[in-house]
Amino acid sequence: MRGFEARWEDVPHFIIGITREIWEERRIGSLRQRYAPGLIVRSPASVIADSPNVIAATLATLAEFPDRELLGEDVIWCEDPDGATATSEAFLSSHRLICTATHARAGVYGAPTGKRVHYRILADCAIRDGAVYDEWLIRDQSAIVEQLGFDVVEWTRDLIRREGGSERCVQPMTPANDLPGAYDRRGNDNDWGWRYAGTLEAIMSADMAVIPQCYDRAVSLHHPRDRDGQGWKDADDFWMSLRAAFPDAAFSIEHVIGSDDPLMPPRAAVRWSLHGTHAGWGRFGAPTQAPVYIMGMSHAEFGPFGGNGAWGEPTIRREYVLIDETAIWKQILLHTGQHG
Amino acid sequence: MKGFPNRFENLPDYILEITREIWEERGLASLHRCYAPDIPLRFPSGLVRGNLKVIDGTLATLAEFPDRQLLGEDVIWSGDDEHGFLSSHRIVSSGTHSGHGGFGAPTGKRFTVRTIADCAAKNGVIDDEWLIRDVGGMARQLGWEPAAYARHQIDSEGGPERCAVPFHSDHDVEGPYRGRGNDDAWGERLATVLTHIMDKDFSIIRGEYDRAVRTEHWGHRGDWSWEFPETDWMRLRSSFPSSRFQVHHRIGRSDPGTPHRAAVRWSLTGKHDGPGFFGAPTGAEVHVMGITHAEWGAWGLRREFTLIDEVAIWKQIHLHTGAIE
Repeated sequence: MRGFEARWEDVPHFIIGITREIWEERRIGSLRQRYAPGLIVRSPASVIADSPNVIAATLATLAEFPDRELLGEDVIWCEDPDGATATSEAFLSSHRLICTATHARAGVYGAPTGKRVHYRILADCAIRDGAVYDEWLIRDQSAIVEQLGFDVVEWTRDLIRREGGSERCVQPMTPANDLPGAYDRRGNDNDWGWRYAGTLEAIMSADMAVIPQCYDRAVSLHHPRDRDGQGWKDADDFWMSLRAAFPDAAFSIEHVIGSDDPLMPPRAAVRWSLHGTHAGWGRFGAPTQAPVYIMGMSHAEFGPFGGNGAWGEPTIRREYVLIDETAIWKQILLHTGQHG
Repeated sequence: MKGFPNRFENLPDYILEITREIWEERGLASLHRCYAPDIPLRFPSGLVRGNLKVIDGTLATLAEFPDRQLLGEDVIWSGDDEHGFLSSHRIVSSGTHSGHGGFGAPTGKRFTVRTIADCAAKNGVIDDEWLIRDVGGMARQLGWEPAAYARHQIDSEGGPERCAVPFHSDHDVEGPYRGRGNDDAWGERLATVLTHIMDKDFSIIRGEYDRAVRTEHWGHRGDWSWEFPETDWMRLRSSFPSSRFQVHHRIGRSDPGTPHRAAVRWSLTGKHDGPGFFGAPTGAEVHVMGITHAEWGAWGLRREFTLIDEVAIWKQIHLHTGAIE
């Protein structure tokens, strides 16, 4: 890895290693080097440009959840030759983590509840010269809120109030407030990535019949709000309830990585978006016509066991999908004005 | 595959498909064909002999849980036409308790548990089997503590003198399958991990397991990272600290499109002479049948699935202590 310290053997080693250094080994100050100048971090809740506050935010989280552990489940990555500099190779890493923590101290979630939380994070990081220089991140925020004992909608309503009301609160990410970053590539050409992207496009075209064709009958599913499911019906339930809520939203594939590494099943990482109006009944209750932007990220692992297609046709055996439901509710509440 | 219908491409295809035909498409009668007439079937709850009993057991389960769905998560297999195949089939089983049966009057409750079935197949017939259902996980989801459910079983089966006797290696029978698995390095590796654990060298878990490992254990319980498997294996070993650990069968595989993986069937045999999962030590003679599946990734063992039947263990303890009221 030209441009990275010699101690890192590969992209996953670097990504998992710096995550551990920053969060668990308490070298929070190393963010000054690990986050390149001009870094933009986009999450569904906000777009943060080159924040001098990122260290402060990290300290605040660790003050509230001191035993926070970040377990790196997977790193699906690709080379980014167009991003290389004179001094460094470049890569795009899609990192899937399980975060576990105890709500031990007072903080943004209020007085300590002593509750244990666990939730997933998906983080797409563009890296070169030993640093992250562009980022997209989704945290399973509704899982945290629910596990701490709050109602997701009520908590979001209260968040708007705590942030100073509809005029002053932090605005969720939309194309209107997104900032162009230094990474504008679309991933790699590996078949596994495009196979998964094609499945998602078919689902979003309301062709739900692809689910028994493209998913293993026993697929393990990991959905937002830390909900696990198994089998075709649970896959159908999730995608149907999401699409039904935003029936006319434009679905876009933003970034695709496919990978077939030794020791791992073939797998894919896809970042996608839905942009439109909350015009239907579904996962978000009665339609409000609120304009909504949804950043979504998914990881899939393929296996050899058949769906309804021919035996031996690879199918999705494990799928991990994240959206931030609180950022969606925030957009809905800001539209309806029911946040007072 | 000699002697198997041509429509099956390979052993996983065969196993997944006949499971679906028998259970979900209601083809119970096909067990006359695809199960041998005198098949020995070892459940932790007891030894069952013959395909007619298998049909009746299947029928009773379907009467109790008619919507039972069996999702085949994996088939880890070994063997060949000549010596017979062994399929270790991991299933996620779910259903609604809508009929009368072993769990009493219908409660309308839903359950989801894992099952692992080791089936030996030769010439198109399954003729030897070892099967562990997560009965403890089912019992909890249907409203029973496993210890209390074991007492209920003894009572409803006619009391300690007449109830079904849980499986013990002392009264095992020899079936037609004599294989011990294959020589693949990944099966050996999992057997070594389990042997270290049972030798009370629990540091093997941090050495071998990925830090973000997901472990799914009996009782329909699971968690991430090291602490859960460490604690669970310590509590199991601590319950039977002097018992003998044996590896009976091990398979390793590196198939295209799947991570390296392994299936090991093992047992603990000896006294309930320590604290852990089963209350204060009672000195009861116990046989614990276990099956473990594992998958490896780039950073170590990434997924572990282990099943034992807690209810069958409690039943052995209750029959020893006589505390069945």
